[in-house]
Amino acid sequence: MKGFSIFVLVLGLFVFPENLKAQVFKTETGRVEFLSKASLNEFVGESGSLNGLVDLEKNMLDFFVDLNTVKTGIGLRDRHMRENYLETKKFPFAEFTGKIDAIPNMAKGQSREVIAKGKFKIHGVEREITVPGKLTMVSDSELKLDAEFKLLLSAYNIEIPTVVFYELSEEQVVTIKATLKK
Amino acid sequence: MNLRIIALLISLSCTIPAFGQLERKLATEKQEVDLIFHAPRHINLMTVEPLDKKALHFAIMHTFGTLDGGIQELWGLDNGANIQFSFEYAFSDKFSLGAARQSRDKVYNIYGRYHLLKQTQDGNMPFSLSLMGGAGVNSSNYDFLQSEAPSFADRTSFAFQVMVARKFSDKLSIQITPMMAYFVDPNPIFFIQGDQNLYLALGFSGKYKVTGRSSLTLQWIPNLNSDLRNNLGVGIDLEAGGHVFQMYFVTSQFLNEQYLLAGGNGTPGDEFRIGFNVNRIFATGRKKRLK
Repeated sequence: MKGFSIFVLVLGLFVFPENLKAQVFKTETGRVEFLSKASLNEFVGESGSLNGLVDLEKNMLDFFVDLNTVKTGIGLRDRHMRENYLETKKFPFAEFTGKIDAIPNMAKGQSREVIAKGKFKIHGVEREITVPGKLTMVSDSELKLDAEFKLLLSAYNIEIPTVVFYELSEEQVVTIKATLKK
Repeated sequence: MNLRIIALLISLSCTIPAFGQLERKLATEKQEVDLIFHAPRHINLMTVEPLDKKALHFAIMHTFGTLDGGIQELWGLDNGANIQFSFEYAFSDKFSLGAARQSRDKVYNIYGRYHLLKQTQDGNMPFSLSLMGGAGVNSSNYDFLQSEAPSFADRTSFAFQVMVARKFSDKLSIQITPMMAYFVDPNPIFFIQGDQNLYLALGFSGKYKVTGRSSLTLQWIPNLNSDLRNNLGVGIDLEAGGHVFQMYFVTSQFLNEQYLLAGGNGTPGDEFRIGFNVNRIFATGRKKRLK
């Protein structure tokens, strides 16, 4: 019995406060969209498998998506994208790891515009980027994130096809929508 | 005892790692290998390359005369081409049906492909395996014959192939294709050299990527049960957006699967023919966007 109370005590000391305080939100089903707006052809590549972590206590953001899950609606275009442009066998992930410039203090139901700074990596090239976004505290255990940024393919050594039937834009608009849970 | 438990708990609490980065893991380990070949056709042989559901593959294939006419015959281009058009529509990601017409002997062919196994990137499935079956009929006009023209049944022929392919590296893909053709009546009036009903052969197809979107291609089809010359083809594949252009030298003028085995071949070199395929895939049913 004594042992049990010590157990509870220790558990309380080491586990509960951590859990109560923890501000770690995660998802494995966030949505990411790559919009290619070329003059003749506009299309969207999208994935519903964005993995993400937002730690409001330690101020840490970490997101990645398996680029094999990005679909454009045309299977052959997907294959060409994976094989010739993104080279997903060598570089399967697009990833972002960074910080929010100032952690917002949010009550339930409130939203805040935030700026995230960090390293974005795709096609084996890593660059420092700044992403404006919006955080919404949906409930105590649910955090919503919306963000959008522009991505220049040439900055990441991603070749743009010269002879094309699906025209690809040099500038891709990346939109992120994720609901992260504790 | 209690102390031990406490010590254990403390050490456990301390070793619980601080939350770092997420572990990078692939959405699926069973990601299929992309583009073992550039197109569903490779010189004259069909490949394991599948079509997506509701996609339509259109191929127009030509072979010209033999090279030995030299510049006088523009290396065979003056002799007129044997042309085959084919349309293949995918009813699912695994099954497609096609129809083709070859100008030599005016052969109409219907065929199906079924993709049984697909090579995966993790190597759990080391190769792709597809089946192909086809049936054709020679629709030439034989009214000029003194004897009676061949009946419909006597004009039919059948093909069956098993395609086994593997992408060995980013550059090299090889396919081995055990194949057979059966002519109900191998009538000498047809454009075939063989006089057997059944033809067995083993097709080898190779692709070696030179740049991102072009490859050197090879085809060799030794006959297993006939004395006919073996088929040899070499060429290049060029991918341009949604088109795949295939240019090659080949020893046979035939494009239909049955005629390819029974039609005979020239000697490699002088009797090579210039060949040219255009492959185009149309995506007719676009998938709906995610919610």
